[in-house]
Order: sequence, then structure tokens, then C-alpha cells
Amino acid sequence: MTKGTIEISNLVKKFKDDFIAVDGISLHVNRGQCYAFLGPNGAGKTTAIKILTTLSEPTSGLVKVSGFDVKKEPEKVRWEIGVVLQDTGLDQDLTGREILELQARLFHMTRKQAKERTSKLLEMVGLTKDANRQIKKFSGGMRRRLDLAATLVHEPTILFLDEPTTGLDPLNRKAIWNEIRRLNREEGVTVFLTTQYLEEADELADYISIINRGKLVASGTADELKDSIGADLITFEFADDQIAGSAARMLKNSGGIEHQGSRVTLTIQEATKRLPMLMEKLTRAGIQINELDISSPTLDDVFIRVTGEKEEGA
Amino acid sequence: MGMQSLVIHTWILTKRSLIVLIRNPFTFIPNLFISLFFLLVYTGGLSGISQLPEFDGADYLAFILPVSIVSAAVGGAGGAGQSLVRDLESGYFARLLQTPVTRLAIVLGPTIAGMLQLLMQTIIILTVAFFLGLNVAAGFGGVLVVILLAIGWGLAFAGYSVALALKTKNAQAAQAGTLIFFPLIFLSTTFVPLELIEASWLRIAATINPTTYLFESMRAVLIDGWVMGPILSGIAVITAVCIVTVSLSVRSAKRAFQRE
Repeated sequence: MTKGTIEISNLVKKFKDDFIAVDGISLHVNRGQCYAFLGPNGAGKTTAIKILTTLSEPTSGLVKVSGFDVKKEPEKVRWEIGVVLQDTGLDQDLTGREILELQARLFHMTRKQAKERTSKLLEMVGLTKDANRQIKKFSGGMRRRLDLAATLVHEPTILFLDEPTTGLDPLNRKAIWNEIRRLNREEGVTVFLTTQYLEEADELADYISIINRGKLVASGTADELKDSIGADLITFEFADDQIAGSAARMLKNSGGIEHQGSRVTLTIQEATKRLPMLMEKLTRAGIQINELDISSPTLDDVFIRVTGEKEEGA
Repeated sequence: MGMQSLVIHTWILTKRSLIVLIRNPFTFIPNLFISLFFLLVYTGGLSGISQLPEFDGADYLAFILPVSIVSAAVGGAGGAGQSLVRDLESGYFARLLQTPVTRLAIVLGPTIAGMLQLLMQTIIILTVAFFLGLNVAAGFGGVLVVILLAIGWGLAFAGYSVALALKTKNAQAAQAGTLIFFPLIFLSTTFVPLELIEASWLRIAATINPTTYLFESMRAVLIDGWVMGPILSGIAVITAVCIVTVSLSVRSAKRAFQRE
């Protein structure tokens, strides 16, 4: 079964002005996975998602969504996917109920089916009470929830979300996260999201690809990516400069060492596992440790390492 | 699918355009107001000139009525393009493209809604004109011809406004494009027959302006009865303009629906 899967091989998107927005991307998304595309502004995230959602055509390469070729069978792809893009919106003059019923009718439901589906969706995103108000009177968070409901009208197997929580306050962000997680875990909907928030990728995705200048520069689970940075940091604080000096000499074979005043910083693989051995070594030599701190690399570190750029916005 | 879904989708999107129209009455009230203003003020203020021999004893109310109807028609038809621009700017257009909606329905919905708006406006203006004492020489059939001519002209203008909207994708540009309304309406036999226009440049402009033939055909049925010459030339001109603007709108729609 290919339903709910995404298959991309050697995708290239070159614009008329010769700008190459996507430069040879290949990836595979399994059914029920939550896949995050992480990258700075202008990395090619939106272009890629537009191709996946049939709004744009690939220049070369093969893209299959739920087993259908986006280039040859865009209509079939549209039945499989729900899409929230940054540049999709809703008719602000209609009410929440009207827009959902209209959406359902355009997906070939009868009037009765459309009404039933609408009530169910409104309840799901918690907008039943406000359903008969015009969308222009909705708050940003309510709009985002309605937008999500509108994409779920035809029960898609894959949900595409382009920066789903950009510009939302923490409370609304949590609400959207919960809904995405529920759809993914309980209803088995495959989720493909782009984000520039590392926290969001860390929170939601079970697989992350980092994209920069149209190329995938790193892929893996959040933990794998963090591990790929190579090492943790252990910071020791000693009584004085001299003791720190002799500790640094003893530890220099265990990893990268940096000695500054009474402080010694050690860059080392699997710090927690090897720490007892290091402490034993120091204690045996009669060196007392005043303070100790271990830190693991964050996704930020990975991101900065592979993109060579500072993250914007978060 | 196919034909059946085209009809259903067009109906759904027409209904939606009408709902939006009714919720925003100020998109059509000013236009209707200006058209009625033409009718009332010019009939009241200029009717004396219909005593001139060139008017052949025509009632000035019947002479100026087409101007009022055509200006209302242009406003109603321009709404089709405006509503597409609204959708493009709000992102609803992109959302519609994500559904299996028949592409043609996205353009037909607002166009039909614009035509219905135009029909209502024309009926209101005709009703006011009847209250002012309008007599239609060609009778009830003549009234139908006037309405049909208005719709034909509206469709031509709707084609133009849709083409402009989809090409520019910009509300201000589409709005600016409707300014073509001024030369179309006023560089014509708007207030007096062609024989009374003194400036030769205005005569030339009026002769090449398609609106002139529309005015003349409406005036024929209102004032002279079934005079087929001007009626048919009006219909011919409208058909020609319609073919041009509707094919332009189809072309820009195809571009807008094409994937990058």
C-alpha cells in the first residue's frame, strides 16, 4: 500500500529566472509518520511543499504522493491531501459553518453529508459555539483552527502544513500542536510540516530533515541529529587555576579540552556514560571537583552547524 | 462528474458570491445611486434640449435611460473581477485550487453573480423610469431587449474585469482598470444625438466607441419601436466585444490555473 506515503527522488525546481529553489532532494515518508522540514527562510521549504501539494510543477525528478504522480495525476493527489499553506486563506465574509459546508460540497458531498461533516469538524476544533459568526470576527487562533478543519473535510490521508504556528501566541500554538499530534497518533494521518521553529520540530516530528539552499543537509530523528553533532559538554569547576591545570592534563586524552582559569571544559561523546570513570580518575589523583555541569547539544546546535546560519524568529 | 459537477460547483460558488454581495451592500449601493442620479438629474435638468429638432420629438427620459442602465451594468459586471481579486488576496483562490472543483466554476460563479446583480439593478432603474412616466415604443418586448442588451454589455465588461483581475492579481490595478468606464460612457452620444456633437474629435470618438451602438439600439426600442437597423448593429457590436473580452478572460484564467 502506498496510501499515506510520500516518495521524492531527485526533485529539482528551477524557476524561469534560473534560480534553483530545490536542488536534487530525495526522501521517503512512511504512512503515519510526522515528518518535519526544517530550514531557514528561503531554503526551499515552501517551494517543495507547493510541488507536493500540486500547486507547482517539478522541473525534474519524481514525486509521488499516496502513490500518485503529482505531475501526471494532480486531481487524484488532491483527494488524498489536506493543505494549510501560508498563502491559502478563507473567505472572511462567510461564517465558519458556511465555509466548511462549501468546502465539503466542492469535495462532491451531498448537502446532507456536508452538514454532518461540518458539525463534526466544528466540534473537533472547538468552534461549534462560534460557527455562525463571520470569519473576519475570528481571532488569529480561531482562524488557524478553522483553516485546519477546512483541510480535513475530505478525510485526507496526508496533511501538509506550511509553518502551522508562525505568528501564534504560546497558548494557541499548543492547541494547534495538540490537534496535529492527535490527528497523527490517533487517526493515523501522515503529517508533513515545514517550520523554522526548532522547538516545533522537536516537539512534533518523529523524523526531521534540515534543508538549506535547496539541498537536504541533515536527516534523522531529533536524537540522531543531536548525536550527529558528536559530543556533549562537561564543565568542571575547581578550587583554583593550578588544580584545574593538573586536571586538564589528566583529562586531555578523553576528549577535546579547554582550560580557562579554574574552569575546564571537556567535549566528549556520551558524557553521562563516561562521567563516573572520569570522576574516579580525578578522585584517585586527589583532585576535588567544586562544580559540575553536563549539557547535550540542542537542535539549535545542529541547525547552526549544518546551515551555517543563525535561526531566525524563534 | 464532468457536466454535472460543473453545474453544481458553479451554483455553489454563485450562491457564495451572492451571500458575500448581500453582506457588503456598499459594493453595489454607490453604483446604483450614481445610475439613478444620472436618470433623475439629467432628466430634470436637461430635458429642455429634447425640444431641439435633432431629437425628433423624443422624450429625454427615454433618451438618457440607456446611460443610466449601462453605467449600472458596468458596475455590476466589474464586481466579478473585484471578487476574484478579493479571493486572490485573501488566499481563498489558492484554497479553491486545492479542491477538486471544476476550474471553470471558480470564474463562472462570480460572473453569474455579477450578472444577477446587474439584472436587479436594471429592473430597479426601469421601475424608477416607469414611475417617471417612461413609455416604451416597442412595448414589453422592447423592455426585454433593453435588459438583454444590458446583460450582454455586462458580460463583455465582466470578461474584461475578470481578465484584468487574473492578470494583475492586484485590487488597485483591477480597480484602476474599471476607469475605462469613463471614456466608454462619456465619449459617446451620452447626452445628445451624434448630429448635435460639434467637436469633431468627440464625433470621431463617439463613432468608434462601441457604447454608442449600445445606446443607439436601446434608444431605438425605447423611442422609435422595432427599427431593426440600429438594434441589430447594437447586438452585433456587443457580440463582437463579448467574444474579445471573454476570450481574454479565458486566456488569463488558463494562465492563473496553470501550475508554476
